[in-house]
Amino acid sequence: MAESGGNFDFLFKYDDRVAHLARQAETYVHSDPDSALFKLRLMVETMARTLVDMQAPHLVDSDLSIMLRSLQRSGLLGARDADHMHAIRRDGNAAVHGYDSTTPTAMRRLRDAWRVSRWYARSVRRGAKVDPPPFQAPPPPAGDASDAATQDRAEALEEAVEARRSQTRKALLLFSDQDDVKAMRWRLRGELRSLETVAAAAGEPVVDADFVALVMAMDLEQILEHPAWGRSSREAKGDVEKQFEAFKAAHEAAEREYLSQRAAIAAESRRGG
Amino acid sequence: MSELSLATTWFLAARTMACGGDEPSIAEEAAAGLFARAILGLDEESCIAAKEQAHMQPLTLIDCMSMAGQLPRGTADQVMTGVMMIAYAAASMHPLQVRWASMLASAMCMTESRFQRCCVNARVVASMLPHEQEAIGG
Repeated sequence: MAESGGNFDFLFKYDDRVAHLARQAETYVHSDPDSALFKLRLMVETMARTLVDMQAPHLVDSDLSIMLRSLQRSGLLGARDADHMHAIRRDGNAAVHGYDSTTPTAMRRLRDAWRVSRWYARSVRRGAKVDPPPFQAPPPPAGDASDAATQDRAEALEEAVEARRSQTRKALLLFSDQDDVKAMRWRLRGELRSLETVAAAAGEPVVDADFVALVMAMDLEQILEHPAWGRSSREAKGDVEKQFEAFKAAHEAAEREYLSQRAAIAAESRRGG
Repeated sequence: MSELSLATTWFLAARTMACGGDEPSIAEEAAAGLFARAILGLDEESCIAAKEQAHMQPLTLIDCMSMAGQLPRGTADQVMTGVMMIAYAAASMHPLQVRWASMLASAMCMTESRFQRCCVNARVVASMLPHEQEAIGG
């Protein structure tokens, strides 16, 4: 039976195991942020597995990122909740791989987990009215000797990293968060229909839709080996791989830099404590 | 052409392609931004500025085609590849999308063989780009 008073008490009614993991993370957030992140990572994985099992059971043993993508594609998981889950996945992975973490990191992910928990409860029990009290950051234990200045630096680092990640995300998305995608879709389709009428009346040729469909239907291997297109598509593949790897490497380097700065602060905090 | 102009042309062309089909999917959403950053080499600031409502709202598809017509040949081929990649990422193509590809190709004075090469390359690229969250680390 769960003891009361935590942010995740409401969750026991919907999924005992997930609630238990959240409760453990909450307990460790000050004393052992690495363990808190590990528990949260496990919590998110358990949530994803439960929901994927209902929708696409063949993916249930896949990587967490694949399961999250599948939930997003099915429309069950919205962009904001997906971002929270990916943040937990990333920081949980870093904790598992030995990167020291700090209480401010674990606290942010705990808050993310609380937000995601509401969505999860509604997803596992359709129609459920889930209205937990606002999130309360668990207070540090009595006699906690953490150095306030170190905690402030850790907090500032988290702020900077979140701002950078948010900037990257804003740049990558097709629509911005402020866009009314429905209205935009309606407007663009209207324009396309008008142009279609004008183009058809002017006898404008249409691209070879059969060719487009053929390429769509072909296996990648068939395209790469095709005598007419094979060479250029192999080159394109090589170019894209290089460009994409360079892009990914730049972001990974930024993330590594963040993790090493965080580890330094965590080490300092331990020495101070 | 400035980075902002290229970003504007790209995002307007890509949004139109995505909106010409069913509801824009996660796959289409993710593919568009990654293509802009990784393949077109646009910086974050230009991508964000291009999508500002005040900047994008007044632009029509005629404006988009006019800007597309001014792209150098290599860049035009990349943009067309990206636009077709969006259709391939969603694994379907609707009549309005076919028309949009056609109008863009005309605006870029593209021959049939150039367009075909873009299609083949788009199919290859669509199979490679991962989800945006996986691309940005971790």
